[in-house]
Amino acid sequence: MATVLDIRDLAVDIPVEAGTLHAVRGISFAIEKGRTFCIVGESGCGKSMTSLAIMDLLPKGAVRRASALSLNGRSLADLDNRAMADIRGAEMAMIFQEPMTSLNPSFTIGDQLTESLRRHRGTSRREAEARAVSILRMIGITAPESRMSQYPHQLSGGLRQRIMIAMAMMCDPSLIIADEPTTALDVTIQAQILRLLKSLQSEFGTALLLITHDLGIVSRMADDVAVMYAGEIVESGPVEQIFRDPQHPYTRGLIACLPNRERRQVGGRLASIPGTVPSLVGSFTGCAFRERCELAIEACAEPVTLRSLVPGHQVRCIRAGAPIEETAA
Amino acid sequence: MGRFLTRQLLLAIVVAVNVSLIGFAMLRLSGDLAQRIVGPEATAEQVETVRKSYGLDKPLVVQYVDWARDALHGDFGRSFFYNAQVSDLIAERLPVTMTLGLIGLALALLFAIPLGILAAVYAGSWLDRLALTGAVLGQAMPSFWIGLLLILLFGLQLGWLPVSGADDWQGYVMPSIVLGLYAAPALMRLTRSGMIDVLRSDYIRTARAKGLLPAEVVLKHGLRNALIPVVSIAAVQLGLLMGGSVVVESVFSIHGLGYLAWESISRADFPVVQSIVLTLAIMYVGLVFLSDVLNALLDPRLR
Repeated sequence: MATVLDIRDLAVDIPVEAGTLHAVRGISFAIEKGRTFCIVGESGCGKSMTSLAIMDLLPKGAVRRASALSLNGRSLADLDNRAMADIRGAEMAMIFQEPMTSLNPSFTIGDQLTESLRRHRGTSRREAEARAVSILRMIGITAPESRMSQYPHQLSGGLRQRIMIAMAMMCDPSLIIADEPTTALDVTIQAQILRLLKSLQSEFGTALLLITHDLGIVSRMADDVAVMYAGEIVESGPVEQIFRDPQHPYTRGLIACLPNRERRQVGGRLASIPGTVPSLVGSFTGCAFRERCELAIEACAEPVTLRSLVPGHQVRCIRAGAPIEETAA
Repeated sequence: MGRFLTRQLLLAIVVAVNVSLIGFAMLRLSGDLAQRIVGPEATAEQVETVRKSYGLDKPLVVQYVDWARDALHGDFGRSFFYNAQVSDLIAERLPVTMTLGLIGLALALLFAIPLGILAAVYAGSWLDRLALTGAVLGQAMPSFWIGLLLILLFGLQLGWLPVSGADDWQGYVMPSIVLGLYAAPALMRLTRSGMIDVLRSDYIRTARAKGLLPAEVVLKHGLRNALIPVVSIAAVQLGLLMGGSVVVESVFSIHGLGYLAWESISRADFPVVQSIVLTLAIMYVGLVFLSDVLNALLDPRLR
């Protein structure tokens, strides 16, 4: 399988008043053609910054560093703004969290759908409109021709997110990055949108980088998953492996927090992980999770590297692999 | 769209009627008009004669209804000072003031919008600071003073432009610049702040994610939304430029509506004053209506 996206040691620094915020602290992963890679973590863990860094859409002032960042074998790390703009929307496209605000209120759906094709392929307006209508039809939007002349405020949230997806598909990109694409939507619409992404992916062999905080979505969508915590990947591997045998205490905590039909008791409380994420402003060493971790020992204050327990399954915890019962203290 | 415009149009008519009513009342309350017309030396009988012949002895409501009925039939009365119909006087002066206001606004927009966009795109840079400083200076300098400076430099020193009058296009140059300088700072700051807000929005990020080039992102996706407040204010500004051109028209001795208003007030030529107030009020609500139409064209959510 061809590698679509390959990232090594990606870091994002954001200057803030108190110093430098290390939002992403050296993460590496790769996505193959037709695969879905999920990054899961709580808000502020750096997962959105990772996606924006790949697209080169970081907020002003934020600095991106990486020892490798390549798309379809071509390095993106040292492309200038113009060359990067040529790739955005053509080879990789992005779907954002808020379909309500991510569409321009002043332009028609048709105008916004055809823009990227016209920009990247120089397609005529008429041809671009024909392709937009066919994509809208393909993703199951009724009366696609009449949608083209509508404005965003005339559409429901779910419909707008479908438009965003159609927009991302216009140039047939090899990578789609979806940053919390269903968070702003109703649960029933969520399922439709996820099914749609899945079916488009299997039809076109698109690689999908799905950013989410929802492990339910991960289990439904992912081939591989990376759990991010405080700007780092703390555990990654094939999704069945991670769910069957989570090694990092944070991953275990997340899975334990999932509402579960067997475990649920009437009136019972959902599990939660106590404590808060450490500040990422300034320098930071050791395991970022140790303050909240029941298994923490003194050695956890030393730098921790990602290591493989079994091939393909990596974890950033010195205590991983050790039986839990030993650590009664 | 139709319903929105009908509502705005009805609102405009209500406002115009109210302004004429208030203007009428304030003019009558400003003192004894009959006394002012005949002058301080007149005898009591003379004052009473004038009061009767101009209908000033009738109740205020009757006076207004009489005046409004005539005005609706296109009869605005005769000027006390000029031997002419008020409508003819206004028809003669209005184009001068309108030309001046339109050129002034055009100059202001031509200057303010590009500068506002640049200041927003490069917010915090030296260019931005220069533009903001210029705006403060522009707002702080009174129009009559800039007018006099221009007359001194281009009229007297260099002799390039006529110092007064508006007999040909050259006469419009300096007054329009003065009016433009008056309107530009507010429009520039509005463009800048609107653009800064818009550039932070999610749909700008979407536009960039599509690979659109910066010029297209800013000028297509940004400007259309940033201009919505600018259009409203520009229309109001044009109203202000025309209503407030008294100063500029007197500095440059241009016989426009503002100059006529000022003359007529000092001569107690109240039919003229009354009609100018009505004319300006109608122009003003007309402009606000026009800005509503433009906004509806720019922003589909208003339609």
